[in-house]
Amino acid sequence: MSGVDLSLERLLFNLNTLAELGEEITSPKDFTRVVKSSLYMVMGTFSASKGIVFQYDQGDGLFTQIASKGLSDVRGAGLKIGKDAASAIIRNNKPVDLKSADPIIALLGPGREFLERLGARVLAFLIVKDELLGLIAISDKFSGEDYTLYDYQLLSVMGQHISFSLHSHTLLMRLMYRYNENKGLYENLRRIYYDTIHAFAAAIDAKDAYTKGHSHRVSSYSAAVAREMGWSADDIEGIRISGLLHDIGKIAVDKSIINKASPLTSNECKELNSHPVIGYEILSRIKFPWKGIPMMTRNHHEKVDGSGYPDRLKKHDIPMGARIMALVDAFDAMTTDRPYRPRLSFREAIDEVKDHYNRQFDPEVVRPFISVIRKEVLSEVENPTIVPLMHEHLDPVTLSRILEGFPH
Amino acid sequence: MAGRHRHRETGTSVVVYADNYINDIEGEKLEEMCDAFLAKGFKKIVIDFSGTDLVNSIGVSILIGIIEKIKGKGAVVFSGLKDVNFQIFHIVGLTRHIRVFNNEEDALKGGASCDGASL
Repeated sequence: MSGVDLSLERLLFNLNTLAELGEEITSPKDFTRVVKSSLYMVMGTFSASKGIVFQYDQGDGLFTQIASKGLSDVRGAGLKIGKDAASAIIRNNKPVDLKSADPIIALLGPGREFLERLGARVLAFLIVKDELLGLIAISDKFSGEDYTLYDYQLLSVMGQHISFSLHSHTLLMRLMYRYNENKGLYENLRRIYYDTIHAFAAAIDAKDAYTKGHSHRVSSYSAAVAREMGWSADDIEGIRISGLLHDIGKIAVDKSIINKASPLTSNECKELNSHPVIGYEILSRIKFPWKGIPMMTRNHHEKVDGSGYPDRLKKHDIPMGARIMALVDAFDAMTTDRPYRPRLSFREAIDEVKDHYNRQFDPEVVRPFISVIRKEVLSEVENPTIVPLMHEHLDPVTLSRILEGFPH
Repeated sequence: MAGRHRHRETGTSVVVYADNYINDIEGEKLEEMCDAFLAKGFKKIVIDFSGTDLVNSIGVSILIGIIEKIKGKGAVVFSGLKDVNFQIFHIVGLTRHIRVFNNEEDALKGGASCDGASL
């Protein structure tokens, strides 16, 4: 290490480099690019023809290269040190000459030979707050001059600058790791949540031998109509969940009533008709991330003319989600076999919808419902929902005939 | 040909005109271009800096990279250096290892090299 001999030009050049380095490490550029630029600045300052930056992993004691220049092949380049060596490096915290007798060099063990093979001469360890983060190794100067004491001091300052960049990046990576970990946990919870709701839906449908898959169909149909009506993704998700749970109150209704083929007595009818209120009571105790699920459940048997149950609400007093479910619930009931009658054909079901248009069913819901069916039959939607679940084939001509005279 | 730098081929020599600024890692395109000329069989590469106002430490690093790569395969010389850039090349020791000419014609002819005092 030789003495200090500084020209004003050299001093200005170095000051300028330090200013640029400061700017570089605080720039919003990609981390890899920042490290590469920083390495080039160090190499240019000392006219070193070879240089490499390693990132240190405290966990396994490994240095892994993250940028290099002038080295033919550094793929898989790595260096390992023990915890004691890392502690000594942190305590020493200054650049070292690889060819010197500095005790830090001896602590590198086989890493010393490895660095010599790469052509390294001076090492600057990257340390922030007693934490070893990495290492910059640069070769002899291209000019053939020796590294001066001033060079070591300057390299130490440049190393500190780069350390801060590495530190910020490390913090960000740890944060990202935690974020991804939490995201994974959240996804798991979400999956469990959905699985539970689906299990509930299956349990509800299992009570009724005839309504297998009814809740899933009401859920899918409702979501399709809501999408057609321009609902937000969040609200569509809400009605999808509501569709799955809309009959949850049937859990409290005697199975023999649900599956009875003959007409129900007035008491039986009363018990069956209590399911929207029971469902509401069950669901209103749950804090759903979507709004309106308990009320959609309560009011899915309301009719726009006010003759429905349990609240005998009229059109605008019935939540829109409940109006959608009222139609698709009835439509699915009509187009599937029931204990008291075989299923209706699509034409017959549509005729029923026509007959109860603006009395039981809201025109504002019937129109988008028909529009979805039409689009699905004409293959205008990517993922058809309703038509594939029909028990009959619908072609555009047949559909057009069925819908003839349908109020617009 | 790789790179975006203007160049002029003459026999087995080529003049590559460096950018206005060589101050970020984009400057590596100059290195790639010199590599490509060498691979094409050119023996002498003149890097002309007459249009270059600024070379910083990153630029120095890139130029050292070019010199190192060409070593033993051909010759690289510099021309048209402005005072400010010559000073930088001088303080980082480049001028002791590379011939610097006043202009590209002199560089192509392989005339007398400059020294710091002549600029």
